[in-house]
Amino acid sequence: MSTLAVWADVYKQYWRINFLTALEYRANFLVWFAFTFIYHATALAALYIVLREFPVMNGWSFSEMAFLYSLWMLAHALNNTLFLTVGDVPEHVRDGEIDRVFVRPLNPLFQILTTPQQIFPDELILAILLFILATIWAKPIIDVWFVIFMPLVVIGGALIDFAINLLIATCAFWFVKVDGLRWVAFQLEQEFTRYPISIYTKGVRLVLTFLLPYAFMNYYPATFFLDKTENALHLAPQVGLLSPLVGVACFCVAYAFWRVGLNHYEGVGH
Amino acid sequence: MRRGFRIEPYLEFAKKAFAREATYRMEVFTSVGSLVLRIYLMRMVWLALYAQNVAPQGIALHQMLTYTVVALLMSLILEVDGTRLIRDRLRDGSIATDFMKPTSPALFYFSDGAGQTALHAMLILPSLGFALLMVHIDVPSPLAAAVFFLSFAIGYVVNFFLNFCMNCVAFWTMETFAIQLIVRWCSDLLSGQIIPLLFFPGILERIVLALPFAAIYSTPLLIYIGRITPAEYAGALLSQVGWLVVFAVLGTIIWRAAQRRLVIQGG
Repeated sequence: MSTLAVWADVYKQYWRINFLTALEYRANFLVWFAFTFIYHATALAALYIVLREFPVMNGWSFSEMAFLYSLWMLAHALNNTLFLTVGDVPEHVRDGEIDRVFVRPLNPLFQILTTPQQIFPDELILAILLFILATIWAKPIIDVWFVIFMPLVVIGGALIDFAINLLIATCAFWFVKVDGLRWVAFQLEQEFTRYPISIYTKGVRLVLTFLLPYAFMNYYPATFFLDKTENALHLAPQVGLLSPLVGVACFCVAYAFWRVGLNHYEGVGH
Repeated sequence: MRRGFRIEPYLEFAKKAFAREATYRMEVFTSVGSLVLRIYLMRMVWLALYAQNVAPQGIALHQMLTYTVVALLMSLILEVDGTRLIRDRLRDGSIATDFMKPTSPALFYFSDGAGQTALHAMLILPSLGFALLMVHIDVPSPLAAAVFFLSFAIGYVVNFFLNFCMNCVAFWTMETFAIQLIVRWCSDLLSGQIIPLLFFPGILERIVLALPFAAIYSTPLLIYIGRITPAEYAGALLSQVGWLVVFAVLGTIIWRAAQRRLVIQGG
């Protein structure tokens, strides 16, 4: 069997196990669904309440901010659905579980990503529903570009999210605890992406654009599709279409670093 | 017959919890760092909102910033889940030994929580220092400050009992992580921690102000920024005490039922 066929087969089995587990623990699944729903509902409710009192934030209305949120949520949910398990790498390094992936004849990262768990694309489904609603409210220009680029932007955004998580997880090969680092990235990704980045000071805008490019998950694409003038770094609005490229570039960097981490880990003879 | 009550063992429990929390140095730094980030974020958010709109509900920008920063500093204490020990000890079974000791298990958990809280309270000063580098915070009148601390103390106990009830659910379900986070997020929004409850539209504002969550953050904060006037202090504190009594009674009932359940299970 060719390698690709093996991968496809493993991946199919992995999702079969996920779905079967979700079906088995139905009560648990419902609680986690409520968990996901409440998290996003309270975040959006807070935005709604504030923007009822203050109709605009740096030129963005509530419906536009909901669109901004839904773009982030789509990318974030796609990352959570496909790549969530990289977050467990530091734990596996600590308890030595990671050694398992070295003795099996399959790409280590692929093995990490297909560790059975209880994953169900519930967040992704909610994200799609919110995206449809927000698109109806915010009325972006829906043309052929929108239809072609939107899925690519979401995939690019998920790759950015994944790549940064992978970079942080890889640090665990050198440092035992990476929780602090992870927490800062988590906060930048979850809370700072909730608002147009033009409200921040210059340094933070630069970080969110070039260092940890979370702004490409939602701010830049939303600016383009909502036809707003980009006033965070005064770039051409078309940079929003670069999200897929930024995602691929981030992934390549993170993957190269991951290989270095693996070699280092094996090299010191653990 | 009740044996003579002695406070010393509980002080020891609290000291032990304090020392245990202090060993997680990384977590301590992270919580201060994360707070500083959030203060920066909220400062930028409110500046942007006030720049293009008129002050709503008569809350001026400096009051809003004060409200937000004080709320975040309060969260250092209020987000400590003091009785999470119950859940942990249920899972590994060591709860049985807590019931065999000549001390009261409930008081043991409370003193453990108090020790944890004391450590986190120490983080307030450095956090306040960082906050003052970014934001100007209003200083209330001595009377308002005194009533604020009293109200915060009552809110702390309400929050403690709420967490206690949630953790006791573990006696029945073992797993409470998801449910607790759900309650936490709802409470963050409904207690006025993220945004003042005065911003809630129409009838919703009346409802959220009447819910027990308001006793945790909203009442002390509104006293601090002067939205609850000295004439209204008595009423505000009284309603907080009312919720405290309700949750204390609820906690006692749940705790009794939980003890019985533990015996039935043969633990």
